[in-house]
Amino acid sequence: MQQSFSFSKPINCIYGANGVGKTNILDAIYYLGFTKSYFAKKDSAVVMHNKQGMYIEGIFDWAEGQSSAIKIIIRENGKKELSENGEDIKQLQQHIGRIPCIMISPDDTVLITEGSEYRRKFIDGILCQIDTTYFSHLIAYNKVLAQRNALLKAWQEPNGQQWDLLAYYNQLLCQHAAYISPKRVAMLAQFIPMVCALYKEISKEPKEIIINLDSKLVNNNLEDLFKQTIQKDIATKRTSCGIHRDDLLLGMSPQESFKDFASQGQRKTLLFALKIAQYQYMKQQLGITPILLLDDVFEKLDANRSIHLLNLITQENCQTFITDTHLDRLEKAFAGWEEKVDFLEIGG
Amino acid sequence: MIFPSHLIEDAINEFAKLPGVGKKSALRHVLYLLKKDASEVQKFTTAIQRMRNEIKFCIKCNNVSDSDFCNICAGGSRKQDTICVVENIRDLIAIENTQHFNGLYHVLGGLISPLDGIGPDQLFIESLINRVNEGTVSEIIMALSANIEGDTTSYFIQKKLASYNITVSTISRGVAYGGELEFTDEMTLARSIQNRLPMNSITN
Repeated sequence: MQQSFSFSKPINCIYGANGVGKTNILDAIYYLGFTKSYFAKKDSAVVMHNKQGMYIEGIFDWAEGQSSAIKIIIRENGKKELSENGEDIKQLQQHIGRIPCIMISPDDTVLITEGSEYRRKFIDGILCQIDTTYFSHLIAYNKVLAQRNALLKAWQEPNGQQWDLLAYYNQLLCQHAAYISPKRVAMLAQFIPMVCALYKEISKEPKEIIINLDSKLVNNNLEDLFKQTIQKDIATKRTSCGIHRDDLLLGMSPQESFKDFASQGQRKTLLFALKIAQYQYMKQQLGITPILLLDDVFEKLDANRSIHLLNLITQENCQTFITDTHLDRLEKAFAGWEEKVDFLEIGG
Repeated sequence: MIFPSHLIEDAINEFAKLPGVGKKSALRHVLYLLKKDASEVQKFTTAIQRMRNEIKFCIKCNNVSDSDFCNICAGGSRKQDTICVVENIRDLIAIENTQHFNGLYHVLGGLISPLDGIGPDQLFIESLINRVNEGTVSEIIMALSANIEGDTTSYFIQKKLASYNITVSTISRGVAYGGELEFTDEMTLARSIQNRLPMNSITN
């Protein structure tokens, strides 16, 4: 089974019934940028059932006469091959960031409703694409953290050797956190105002939303924190402070968190604000315009918010892909922008 | 896979336990041995059996050996005051093959990693300290992997040796020989710049 499409307009609407493969097209574009699926956890899940492998090719025209043809193959033995303009890229890591994409899907509201790890992953995902050193520090930090936690799990009193090891792990964690924490703070100082402004723009609510970084490291030295919490850490057998406990507090007001008090539409609005801020921030930092992939945008958004959102997107000069089940809804939404928009029916 | 004989199947299963050997290569190996003379195969199995049963580990450095002391520790021709600490026998062989080290070794048998349940007590660290205690050692070279486990182990040993009047050094790390700067990761590159070397130490 093979299909090919060509998208030349800034805004590309993909419509069709449920289950015909609209999101699959978005995911294929995402795959070319990140060499992995946004939705599937394992590569085996992106290969069609009973098929031996898969193949995606995307030609990206950057400017007149300047294009890259990205090819990704998953072979029958599960091996992944990536090439750009016929040249093999051995380390997938090098490719990531070349074609920045931002996916917004209905499932992403976990970013607001679920635990802090989703929000950290979101922030880290942005920073890692901009700063590879951040990425290396983060990986190293997590490895040391795993060792420290394992050491705490196996803790036996009294044993001087364990104190030596613990001190060393503390020292390593401090080293890596010393790079990571200020980067997060600096990034959020720019990022949070962007999110707030975008939320206002989409919702047209007069009220300001409140977003804050919740991190003990802002006012404390991690070394001191380790000293204070050591007994607790030994008792609970895990590391209770560090950059792995940072969180982003999302509030509609000082008393009302988005998680507990916002409606589904308000949450979705915040999700768009976060993701479009990601787009704007990355564009500003990388100097490349990311591709926006919007899956099922209109779900749970009222008509006004949808229009404000689409206005926002059409103003940005980026290539956008939108999926929806209804053509008339898309046509109505983009009335007046016809020269910028293409409609593509799948499975019709 | 279905095999016509239980004897063949057993042999294949044993071969398939080896690292990097799957069922198909195991079948190839077994069929190859089947074609060979029985005496040839006898030689093969005897060699393996003797290797396993008669091998010894050097009392001093834990290297594999045919007698109580390995040939590196037993031959007096090597510098007795320098000990190179390695994780395992594979690393020892790798360093031996460079022909650039003329001291003795100490095989730790692993690296400290609480995640894998390996603490200092599981490794031959005490015996290293005992060797230093004898007083003939002047330098310890840490030749351990450049990762968290390796660094932790180096740090731990160094701490244990802090009270002795000896030099503790570690193999240098940085841009690989023949490596291109462009493809070197930034942490390595940053370290290489921090610990840069005088020009003449490279050209010599």
